[in-house]
Amino acid sequence: MTLLFEAFTFLYQAGDAFAFLVLSACGLAVIFGMMGVINLAHGEFILCGAYVSASTARMGLPLPLAILCGALVAGVIGMIVERVIIRPLYQRPLDTIVATWGISMIATQGTLILLGSTMPGTGTPFGSFTVGAYSYSIYRLVLMGAALATLLGLWLIFTRTRFGLLARATIQVPHMAESLGVNTSLIYSLTFGLGAALAGLAGGLYAPTMTLVPTMGSAFVVEAFVTVVVGGADIFLGTAPAAAILGVIKAALTSWQGQLFGQIGLLVAVIIVIRILPRGISGWILRERT
Amino acid sequence: MARYSKLRNWLSLLEGPQTWGRGRVFWAGFLLVVAAASAYPLFADGYDVGNNVYFFNWTFMALGLCLIWGYGGALSFGQTAFFGVAGYAYGILTINFGDAYGFTLIALLAAVGIAALLAAVLGYFLFFGRISGVFLGIVTLSVTLVLERFMAQTAGPEWRIGSARLNGFNGMGSMPSLTIPWPGGDIVLFPDVALYYVTLGLLVLVYLGLRILVNSRFGNVLVAIRENPERAEMLGYDIRKYQLGMFLIGSALAGLSGVLYTSWGNYITPSSMGMTAAALPIVWVAVGGRSDLTATLLGTLLVLACFQALTIYGSQYALVVMGILLVLTVLLVPKGVVLGLASLASRLFSRGKQGATSP
Amino acid sequence: MYKRLSGTLAAVGALMLTSGLAAAQEPIKVGVLEDQSGDFAAATIGKVHAIELATEEINKAGGISGRPIELVVYDTQSDNTRYQEFMRRVLQRDKVDVVFAGFSSASREAYRPIVNQFDGFAFYNNQYEGGVCDANMVVTGAVPEQQFSTLIPWMMETYGKKVYTLAADYNFGQISAEWVRNIVKENGGEMVGEEFIPLGVSQFSQSIQNIQAAKPDFVVTLLVGTAQASYYEQAASANLGLPMASSVNVGQGYEHKRFTPPSLANMYVTTNYIEEVDTPASKDFLARFKAKFPDEPYVNQEAANSYIALNLYKEMVERANGSTVRDDLRKIIAEGDVCFDGPSGKVCLDPKSQHMSHTIFLAKVEADHSITFPKVWEDIKPYWLGDAGCDLTQNDPSEQYTPSNPPPKAN
Repeated sequence: MTLLFEAFTFLYQAGDAFAFLVLSACGLAVIFGMMGVINLAHGEFILCGAYVSASTARMGLPLPLAILCGALVAGVIGMIVERVIIRPLYQRPLDTIVATWGISMIATQGTLILLGSTMPGTGTPFGSFTVGAYSYSIYRLVLMGAALATLLGLWLIFTRTRFGLLARATIQVPHMAESLGVNTSLIYSLTFGLGAALAGLAGGLYAPTMTLVPTMGSAFVVEAFVTVVVGGADIFLGTAPAAAILGVIKAALTSWQGQLFGQIGLLVAVIIVIRILPRGISGWILRERT
Repeated sequence: MARYSKLRNWLSLLEGPQTWGRGRVFWAGFLLVVAAASAYPLFADGYDVGNNVYFFNWTFMALGLCLIWGYGGALSFGQTAFFGVAGYAYGILTINFGDAYGFTLIALLAAVGIAALLAAVLGYFLFFGRISGVFLGIVTLSVTLVLERFMAQTAGPEWRIGSARLNGFNGMGSMPSLTIPWPGGDIVLFPDVALYYVTLGLLVLVYLGLRILVNSRFGNVLVAIRENPERAEMLGYDIRKYQLGMFLIGSALAGLSGVLYTSWGNYITPSSMGMTAAALPIVWVAVGGRSDLTATLLGTLLVLACFQALTIYGSQYALVVMGILLVLTVLLVPKGVVLGLASLASRLFSRGKQGATSP
Repeated sequence: MYKRLSGTLAAVGALMLTSGLAAAQEPIKVGVLEDQSGDFAAATIGKVHAIELATEEINKAGGISGRPIELVVYDTQSDNTRYQEFMRRVLQRDKVDVVFAGFSSASREAYRPIVNQFDGFAFYNNQYEGGVCDANMVVTGAVPEQQFSTLIPWMMETYGKKVYTLAADYNFGQISAEWVRNIVKENGGEMVGEEFIPLGVSQFSQSIQNIQAAKPDFVVTLLVGTAQASYYEQAASANLGLPMASSVNVGQGYEHKRFTPPSLANMYVTTNYIEEVDTPASKDFLARFKAKFPDEPYVNQEAANSYIALNLYKEMVERANGSTVRDDLRKIIAEGDVCFDGPSGKVCLDPKSQHMSHTIFLAKVEADHSITFPKVWEDIKPYWLGDAGCDLTQNDPSEQYTPSNPPPKAN
């Protein structure tokens, strides 16, 4: 029986790490992985989602609606940012670093000036449950479910909807798509907005479990970037398996030797994986297929 | 006779297709700037001199990144890793062996050497492993973050090398400053006039040296690799060796920055290797103009001075204004502020000339 | 011609008179280097406001020895390099008489060499891991012996002898954990676990599981930074249910106001001041603070320390007959009775270490996040440095010591 409990514990910890990586990385996988924009303001879209969902929840909205609200607002702001700042930079991906770094500074300091140094939270819903000797938070299971649901939802959007088809076509061969009559500028806006909305979703989902301060995005950024890059350009063949592998590594190292080992181990794993698979996991899978 | 012509060959490389600025006017301007910079301490107070030394310290790292990224085409997020390694190496060496008999200068060379060694190992791993593009950026970022995370927890007494405690997040201090041995009494290079001249001298040497390097055969191959790596390979160059070489030199320069900073403030901390610190050189180089040495140098100094002034006079809006400036720079002057200003100036001049000759 | 000459003489005379008067009114410049933006802003904006409040009150009452205080404030953006830049500027260009600077220990260690180089005088008004023996520094923040020698024995008496420490993985956390370990051992207790969390980590599922496995009687939480504070929310949602003890949370980052109840229920914090203290002096101070800064989110211990520090400085300078020369002020400190009766009661400077004694309040966070005070310890002295061998009245090592790296014993 204890073996089952141990297995559950490990699955729980790995699933928790996996959920964190998937939710942090999805939005960035769309914006960076698909569109090639190095978005150093990713943490600030997460911040936006967190703040909006926390404040609407405090105003009385039920939590799921508040989280969706946060995602929506982040998505709209993403579309505006894309139109004004990112659109001219598609041919110059490395310049997006400076532009998004600038956006990040504006957003963080602006939030500090307008909303103060901290925002009250909403508290984590659903309480706890016990398995064996330990008690766990139910909400963390909700997060794991949300991560899987997000992946499923994205897959459905990109493979089963017209928008998904157009988006993939536009990003891969924009001139062809345009000559076929696709409104490429709208597609770019919507795709970027989708990426921003996913970041906002992550922010809204994690907001009940974290301190809400203007610099909270920085807790997600590094791990999001390494997951996306290790995954490679494709979200489903790349980001998801990367999050799974890195999540397991991090959970195992953390449970064996503590948080420092977990963090350093994650980064070292990144270095090793890229050395072995220089195009990331999805690059390797796709090359294997062809 | 042969030696004289070899020297002339070298000096002729000061100008070339890879660097901006040629001809009498440019070099006259250059000498004027160096003369003004040398005369500066006579007119400025102690604070400004020390503050300018602080700005100069960072330019070596920026020039190194310009070489790696602007000329070599490899986005290295890890300049701060070598900055930190060299800084800590200098601290450890000088705390253990003191500053007598000019040892600090040996420590400077040794620390830069250690950073270069690390760069050689990492560069071998990266370029001989065919890692490129954004993956290179992520790996170098991971390296600098691993170093930062590791060093930040070395606070306990067991973390010591010789008599130098690493001291974790709080940082290592009380290492002696760079000291020049002198018969009358050692000259300790506090952030004052003497250090200013030493740093200025180093900067001029490194700048001229880099100009010669990028205009030489080595530099031409680098640019060829940047433009089209496969074509360069097909032309018979082992691009991995060239990339390793430029990574070594660029990272050694970052190490030089690290030692100078550590000596300037008698202090080095793991946050110098963190995420924010790692992004800063990229911002300076991108804003200044990464494809040219002069543009990077001037741009870095401009951005540093501008950001400091904003922080002093801008109160809480400083960071917002900085962010806006960065976004505007990228949108309006894609080649970088310095090159943008230069091309604007040249367009005005040529228009003026045309206007003068039109009837 | 005579008219012009007499007119000039009169003008010169008037000028000399007014410049003479002006010299008497020449302001005392106080430099303030605090993080008003960046990661640390939440806990430090209050410090600047407290200094501004003290300045306004002192100037209204006639200044220090008749001279008004002039503040020179810089925002260090939670960046150590900015501390270095601005400490040089404030000492060399602005030529201030005293500097109030620093939140994190790293920032203090970054600027201390510069203060030493220019022979300046700086106040560090933050709690920290203790051990700075430097004649150029006055530390008003609380140190581990003041906070732990009161907290840990009380907790062990009330809840039990098995202790688990969850600490931030850097100097402050590690040294504080060392203090906890020593005090637990001295009182016959048992450390059932110790876990160190790197700064910036915000996910604690594994730590929560480890704590449950170790089955302690209470958890000592020494978590620093807004990301690490997320632990409380996550532990509450996993229904950990253990009492917690801390020297750093609540008093500095006012987590009880920022997190929803009951995530911090049964938390005990030793602090030298929080705004819930209900002594008349504290209530009066709070009223004046809120009158000047109605939107202040919280008045924490660092804000109170900054207010007290400026008043201590005033006392020192006035007892030194208006001199702001550091050695004159050090002579006054060496007399051993530079004290101020302020929001937290009477506090005094210890001449051997130039640290401050404190009234230590044991704050208990109830289920609805209101605060009660089960115990108050008066006049707890910062004894460790003096006992360990640091004596700034005799010499100036300019070092930071720790329990495992104490001052070298004088022959």
